[in-house]
Amino acid sequence: MNRLTLTCALLACAFATPAFAAGSTGGTTAGAVGTSASSKTTTPGDKVVLQARDDAASFVASDGRIRGAQLESALRHLRERYAVAQHASDMQLAQAILAL
Amino acid sequence: MNRARRARAWPALCLWALAGSAQAALQLEPGDESLTPPEAAATREFLAEVAERLPDAWAQALDRRIEVEWRGDLPAKVHGRATTRRLLLNRALLDDWMARPPSAGAQDPATRAALAAAIHELAHFYDRTPQGRLSGDPRLLDLAGWQVSPMRFGLRAGRNDFSDRSPDRYELESPSEFVAVNLEWFLLDPGYACRRPALYRYFAAEFGIPPPRATCAPGHVYVQVGSDASLPPMLQLDTERVYEVDYLFAEGNERPMSRWGHSMLRLVVCAPGRARGPDCRLDLPYHQVLSFRAFIDDVQISSWRGLTGSYPSRLYVLPLDQVIEEYTKIELRGLQSIPLRLEPAEIAALLERTAQLHWSYDGRYYFLSNNCAVETFKLLHDGVPRLAGQGLASMTPTGLLRNLEQAGIADRTVLEDHDEALRRGYYFEALSTRYQEMFDVARQSLDLPQARVQEWLDLDPRDREPWLERADLRASAALLLLEQAALRRQQLLSRDEIKRRFFGHDADRRADGAEAVVALQYVRRLESYLGRPATLLPDTGYGQPQVKEREALM
Repeated sequence: MNRLTLTCALLACAFATPAFAAGSTGGTTAGAVGTSASSKTTTPGDKVVLQARDDAASFVASDGRIRGAQLESALRHLRERYAVAQHASDMQLAQAILAL
Repeated sequence: MNRARRARAWPALCLWALAGSAQAALQLEPGDESLTPPEAAATREFLAEVAERLPDAWAQALDRRIEVEWRGDLPAKVHGRATTRRLLLNRALLDDWMARPPSAGAQDPATRAALAAAIHELAHFYDRTPQGRLSGDPRLLDLAGWQVSPMRFGLRAGRNDFSDRSPDRYELESPSEFVAVNLEWFLLDPGYACRRPALYRYFAAEFGIPPPRATCAPGHVYVQVGSDASLPPMLQLDTERVYEVDYLFAEGNERPMSRWGHSMLRLVVCAPGRARGPDCRLDLPYHQVLSFRAFIDDVQISSWRGLTGSYPSRLYVLPLDQVIEEYTKIELRGLQSIPLRLEPAEIAALLERTAQLHWSYDGRYYFLSNNCAVETFKLLHDGVPRLAGQGLASMTPTGLLRNLEQAGIADRTVLEDHDEALRRGYYFEALSTRYQEMFDVARQSLDLPQARVQEWLDLDPRDREPWLERADLRASAALLLLEQAALRRQQLLSRDEIKRRFFGHDADRRADGAEAVVALQYVRRLESYLGRPATLLPDTGYGQPQVKEREALM
């Protein structure tokens, strides 16, 4: 299970939305940037969630005051990709990112 | 470009090869009376082929009779010379031309050598005409690589460092040789439009030739230098997916090499499937950074060597996330990301220039005169002709930013609202600015005995651990960030220790670590390849890598 799948699982747990369990693992095979890439790689879309950990920690610890761009990017990514995330608050998603 | 070749047979009475239409005025005339009849016939055939390939504008500019002589007294390596009125060609070229099999096509070596020699010399003739003068044109010099220098009041560098993946290194000799060599390739190589697209367009505009029909490999490719091994080594960038270009400024710190900050460019690349627009600004994992750095294969940065140009200056293409990590989380420096007002066509031109630089530039880093700010300035200057006239030159990253702002190209107002700038990615603050606040959150919640965050970080990790277990959600988030900081600090220290141990002055004496040294030196060599991408594709072609070369890199 890759880490993003884990996020999904966590989100699914946290929000108890059974429909979500069938959701995508998020593993598109598109390349880094542009139209092609060599082979199986972690996609940047997946990595955005991991890159946002420091921003997520700052956000949670500051009770929502510090909002960095890496967190914003990850929040948008989760909401674009996972239906369950659309109904979650920023704080819930930030906490889920921290739980990775 | 490929023009339809006309019939070889040339009317016997017409001794002059006329270029193009009836009013064309160039007359290429065999000037040697001693040729045998077959030689004279071959010469006429050859001159007809040359004339046929010259663009009309070129032939008309020459507007006179040029005597062509085959000479046996030219040095072996010299194929031709252009004197004031005469075009001298090496006799061996005629012999080879006549010895060709009847089926020899345009790419036959003897055909090509003879045509190239004549075109080369005729390019010199053209360059001397009032219509020509290409080797004195600032735009040609920008494209070719005789770059402007801010240290020399706009004078140009005496040498051309765009020396990798050159079709013929004789082009680096001087601007006029550059023009002559490139016009050979422009007229004789159908791949020129793809391999040197900007120069192709320049020459095509000069001679009023329509754009090529050649289909080039799409987009631009770069060799990616990432700390993340999961990234593909090749990055293909499609111009249509770049929404904006930012001036990315890393603020300075107290270390001597970083005091003035660092200038880079950030490419705001849209995620696949997202329409080009402001939403792309948050597609952070797709954004790329162009960063000129001295490639240093030493442990200790030598200020003296930095001043005297002992380090190669390399353009690195790095994922933005890696740059954020390096500057804001490891070096603890803030990053300002200021959008530049550029038209989409200007962004495309800038990316094309970046690719040219990536594959062919092998410059030297001078701490004062050719540093990151100067290189970034030159990239903007050479890539976007409009910016060349804006007086942007500066030797410092802050100076360049100020000049960009004064010229109305950079807009720093995006930084005015700090919270908004953080949120939208115009500013990435040094993580250390959050340390104390994080610590205060934890201290209030857990009643920690330390007052300052530094005291907390200086504790043995084992002494911090019990507190983590007791923390509530907010406090544990705060302490998590601080633990990450402590971890990065330890990683940095151990990396320095490895470098010192294996690459420092006493490294040789540590024979027991021989294998480790070999492994680490291999990594270093690999890094240097990645800084000089041309070394990954030796002798496969010139200019921009095309389809087969790209496949070899995958």
